[in-house]
Amino acid sequence: MDEQTTLLEQIMAYDFALYDLQLFLDTHPSDENALRDYKMALEQSENLRKQFQSKYGPLNARYLPNTTCWQWINDPWPWDYKGGMNNVVL
Amino acid sequence: MWYYEKKTQYPINIKKPDPRMAVAILTQYGGPNGELAASLRYLSQRFSMPTKETKAILNDIGTEELAHLEMIGSMVHQLMDKVSPQELEKLHVDTMYAIHGRAVYPSDSNGVPFTAAYLESMEDPIANLNEDLAAEQKARATYEYLLKLTDDPDVIDPLRFLREREVVHYQRFGEALRIVQETMGKKKFY
Ligand SMILES: [Fe+2]
Repeated sequence: MDEQTTLLEQIMAYDFALYDLQLFLDTHPSDENALRDYKMALEQSENLRKQFQSKYGPLNARYLPNTTCWQWINDPWPWDYKGGMNNVVL
Repeated sequence: MWYYEKKTQYPINIKKPDPRMAVAILTQYGGPNGELAASLRYLSQRFSMPTKETKAILNDIGTEELAHLEMIGSMVHQLMDKVSPQELEKLHVDTMYAIHGRAVYPSDSNGVPFTAAYLESMEDPIANLNEDLAAEQKARATYEYLLKLTDDPDVIDPLRFLREREVVHYQRFGEALRIVQETMGKKKFY
């Protein structure tokens, strides 16, 4: 797998863990262990996200790279992947 | 409101087209036990949830179902994309092609368009949550049928992930039901 895909899949894994914990915390709002895990995964996800976005562009339109053109529209979109971002068929 | 994240919840990277499987999976896009019905069901029911926990869980599971809708749409697209009309005819998916081409359209596997009749939203939270528990089991069963129809690991992987999520949602809705019953018991509603 290329570096861009590896990094993206790491972010996806942390973000999934975060979402699963979010649902758990919705019905267990005073569970301190889950809250601690959430905090840890959030830090990891945000670090990786910073790395990814500075190298490969925005995952969310609120990340604005220091360039003169609008990078949000750049390929690939999530449904375009077929075996990693390097194999994007358009 | 919602912001878009330029990634799927779980990777979808299908290398081998399989139009018959695309049509089978399509029912989880716009069919009776599909992700669109699930999302609209929970996002509509959340307005009449009585406690902070149950408002949150309906809101957040309804949101996750939208991410599942996107995963299913991506799978259907990748399984159908660029397959020739001749090939589609040979595989007996030419009737679907005649209506939509190779597009992703919210219908079930027989082409029956999505309808809000697949879901209910009532003021009564106990009625809603019991529907939600059943809905999660029906979605789980559908993913199990779909898993029997393919041996492509690129397809099996995300289908397994989605089946697992239905089990987690069922668990959370069970807790939500218990919270509502306890709260209503305290307020002596009945
Ligand atoms: Fe679900």
